[in-house]
Amino acid sequence: MENIELLMEGFATALQWEYLIYAFLGVLVGTAVGVLPGIGPAMTVALLLPLTYTLDPTAALITFAGIYYGGMYGGSTTSILLNTPGESASIVTALEGNKMAKLGRGAAALATAALGSFVAGTVATIGLTLLAPTIAKLAVNLAPADYVALMVIAFITVGALLGSSVWRGLTSLGIGLFLGLVGTEILSGQQRYTFGLLPLADGIDVVLVAVGLFAVGETFYVASRMRHGPVSLIPITKGWRNWMTREDWRRSWKPWLRGTAIGFPIGTIPAGGADVATFLSYAAEKKLSRHKHEFGRGAIEGVAGPESANNAAAAGVLVPLLTLGLPTTATAAIILSAFQSYGIQPGPQLFQNQSGLVWALIASLYIGNVMLLVLNLPLVGIWVKLLQIPRPYLYAGILTFAALGAFAVNFSTVDIVILLIVGVLGYFLRRFGYPVAPLVIGLILGPMAEAQLRRALQLSQGDLTALVTRPFALACYVSLAVIILLGLWLKRRQSRLERALESALEAETSVSAAVDHMWEPGDRPTDVHTTEIEAIRVEQEQEQEREQRADAAGRATSRRGSRGEKRPPGGPR
Amino acid sequence: MAQTVRPAAAQRIGEVVFAALALGLGLFVLIGAGAIRVPGAGSTVGPRVFPYLVSIILIASAAMVLVDLLRGRLGPQEESEDADPTAKTDWITLAKLAAFVVAHIALIPLLGWPIAAAILFGGVAWSLGAKKWWVALLVGFALSLTVQVVFGGLLGLSLPLGPLLGFLEPLFTLLRG
Repeated sequence: MENIELLMEGFATALQWEYLIYAFLGVLVGTAVGVLPGIGPAMTVALLLPLTYTLDPTAALITFAGIYYGGMYGGSTTSILLNTPGESASIVTALEGNKMAKLGRGAAALATAALGSFVAGTVATIGLTLLAPTIAKLAVNLAPADYVALMVIAFITVGALLGSSVWRGLTSLGIGLFLGLVGTEILSGQQRYTFGLLPLADGIDVVLVAVGLFAVGETFYVASRMRHGPVSLIPITKGWRNWMTREDWRRSWKPWLRGTAIGFPIGTIPAGGADVATFLSYAAEKKLSRHKHEFGRGAIEGVAGPESANNAAAAGVLVPLLTLGLPTTATAAIILSAFQSYGIQPGPQLFQNQSGLVWALIASLYIGNVMLLVLNLPLVGIWVKLLQIPRPYLYAGILTFAALGAFAVNFSTVDIVILLIVGVLGYFLRRFGYPVAPLVIGLILGPMAEAQLRRALQLSQGDLTALVTRPFALACYVSLAVIILLGLWLKRRQSRLERALESALEAETSVSAAVDHMWEPGDRPTDVHTTEIEAIRVEQEQEQEREQRADAAGRATSRRGSRGEKRPPGGPR
Repeated sequence: MAQTVRPAAAQRIGEVVFAALALGLGLFVLIGAGAIRVPGAGSTVGPRVFPYLVSIILIASAAMVLVDLLRGRLGPQEESEDADPTAKTDWITLAKLAAFVVAHIALIPLLGWPIAAAILFGGVAWSLGAKKWWVALLVGFALSLTVQVVFGGLLGLSLPLGPLLGFLEPLFTLLRG
């Protein structure tokens, strides 16, 4: 009850004209930048962080929340409508959405993505409202050793489980941890790895690293092998009012809710963030669907479910961020640094010390979601125009704003030098397949982990067993073991499924193309089993037949006025 | 992977060098940790402990990447909407971009932020294949002036105007109110 009162107070703050305008600007800019190709949510947040420096904390964080949610919405538009392989081919959502658009159903894909994001965003924000204060209350009792355990989980899951190679992820994490070490150590006042250089004495600003890795690194990477020629967009037709048919609604609403149910819990635990959630949702929808053969060819459930899961996870990520001060994605790490730049430390005390601010922030999430729905449904035509910006100008703009962001940190050109160096590092990380998210997490979480570790060992007077003897910490390590096993298994399944899906499509053109697709780098020829592709093909064909029969039967029944919801014989197992 | 056009050997050498550098960084952290001064009395866990941990992570994981590479497992290609995975690396364009960023850094104190930013924008757009360089420069100038007005003027970010645009200063003082 008390929380509802506090939430209402939050709304009272967030609904003031001034803050409404900031929320609107946030979602507007967030969507606009998120739509731009090549810019993911993490880069959106990193690029726009310096622009909020001059605002007061509440206004800045409200703007930021809008940018965060807006970037999420914007990204889906890009992957659905942009007619180039690349990022869009690797993420399951985009795979279906892109195929739908090519079939002339782009409008339905966009609508189900936007509505799904809205449903998921709202439900997940309700979840955040209910869950966060409780967790914060429990978290007050956590000891330093417990925080060490939580951070170890975050390091390992983000470092080892995201991205395609465990050791590359951990290397990236190590580089981030090293960058976090640079500067003056707080407890003893000793300089570490500063080479006696003054600009390094204060440490390396997170903004510089995030902007350098995401914006500059990405620009360099694209520049090194740019796709020349005109931008190829898939046109969308029809007015937005009749985007989704009755059938689309019928097939979408359950995936929206299921996606939310899958995405939110996964977002809240420090285990990999949105990627895992979208994959699980996609797998679930495929399993439950009556239209299995459409998967990989433009199934609306394959857009509705994962898009919702994605947004629900994005809201879920805020739970550990606000209550424990624990970022579990690169985007969350940048948001954490935004908090810190105002001298606010997220964590259990946040809900007591900064109650007004936190609740205004949460209220603004509800408001932002409504604004985003309006911005994304009727106005999608404007965003589509953004996709057509000539690429030289787009990347020139990204680089200029990146330099501005770095310069604005201290108004010193030394920071742009650091930005350039980090950008070059980011380019090589990308080029050689190292994920960049662990680096950002390592940089921001490293110093916090060190502080907690030293505190924990000080309390135990150097006794290392104290790190694992507390029940909570022990539970963390046990669940970490489970997460690792589960995560590795899931990842294997995910990459096999993605490749098998693509291979099945390729198989329609040639057998060798299909086999190429299944071929993992480093696999011996005997490791490639055409049976896996064959199984999916056969399954798809059977589904198709079954469905045709079911459709015929369904039509017969629905003509008699009964529900068309009947499951096909032998449908989902 | 049969479909990559790029010579796999060159990619492999690059990867090995990068992983070796990461390993070197790990060793550097390890050696550097020994050089951190530990204040005599006080804490049980000094400022060296965490660096040692970090160096172990770096050395171990970079070594494992190297082992993977020697076994012939290359890193996956990063995917991006605007990148063509089959294209050859265009080092000249990369060098141009880096040069324009360096020029930007050098020009800010000389010409002020708006002009330096316009040159950065125009230069990068030209390097990436914009048809008319002067259009790119004009667009860049329009953009940088807008930023100067909105952030420098209205939001109070102190971006230096520079000597050439210094005559506009009173306008910005007015905007800041």
